Amino acid sequence: MRRSVSIAGLAAILMLGMAGLGIGQKSSIAVAQDKASTVEVKIDNFSFGPASLTVAVGTTVTWTNRDDIPHTVVSTDDPKTFKSKVLDTDEKFSYTFSKAGTYPYFCSIHPKMTGKVIVQ
Amino acid sequence: MHPFDIKTIFLAKHAQHVVLIHFPIALFIIGVLFDFLSQWRKHYLLAAAAYYNLLAAAIATIPTVVTGLLAWQWELDGQKLKGILLMHLVMGCVSSLLISAVWFIHMKTRRKPEESLPGYRLPIEAVAAVFVAVTGHLGGFLSGVNGPG
Repeated sequence: MRRSVSIAGLAAILMLGMAGLGIGQKSSIAVAQDKASTVEVKIDNFSFGPASLTVAVGTTVTWTNRDDIPHTVVSTDDPKTFKSKVLDTDEKFSYTFSKAGTYPYFCSIHPKMTGKVIVQ
Repeated sequence: MHPFDIKTIFLAKHAQHVVLIHFPIALFIIGVLFDFLSQWRKHYLLAAAAYYNLLAAAIATIPTVVTGLLAWQWELDGQKLKGILLMHLVMGCVSSLLISAVWFIHMKTRRKPEESLPGYRLPIEAVAAVFVAVTGHLGGFLSGVNGPG
């Protein structure tokens, strides 16, 4: 009886310790994101994820093509605020938003693919 | 999405290429089919049908290639292509040349009624059909016909 109680106690301590480590990891990632001010948008399965993104002024948004086929990231305004080259699989494009506003964009190869960045 | 979505038509300057490409593909495949049937059935009407389909296919390749090249210049600023896009461009150009070559062989023979169509045209037509099919497959892959929505 005493033995099973001590094993249960050990397991509880172990679980608490692991949970504590997990919380520590999460908070360090959040701090790193805050420091770098970089947000990632994934291009996959003919869509931008997240399609709508709200960021602070000065944030750098990085689009990564995780799809099997090429895509582009082009703002819909004229003249274009940003326009990427053709991004093949795993290629990235980054843009730093220095002004507040709403920036809708699309893939010029697949115009059905749209997204927007709201800079506050 | 609406099939006549104006936003898509104007935003995508290559939308016309995607529409026009179906004409040379369909006309060429039907032309080749008629030519193979004319060879088998020895019927001049089938040969004539093959010729006119191949002629129309060769003409239809012109706006298709032009809109494809313009899309490359306008949408992608003529940047150096690689991967599937480059393969599609090269295979599209080769397919267009082969379609024109097949039509030219037929046209040359039609000008000399005493001569019959050369036998070597059939393997050329078969190779051209493979090129057209692969180019179309790559184009479909690029345009996202397998994508959602």
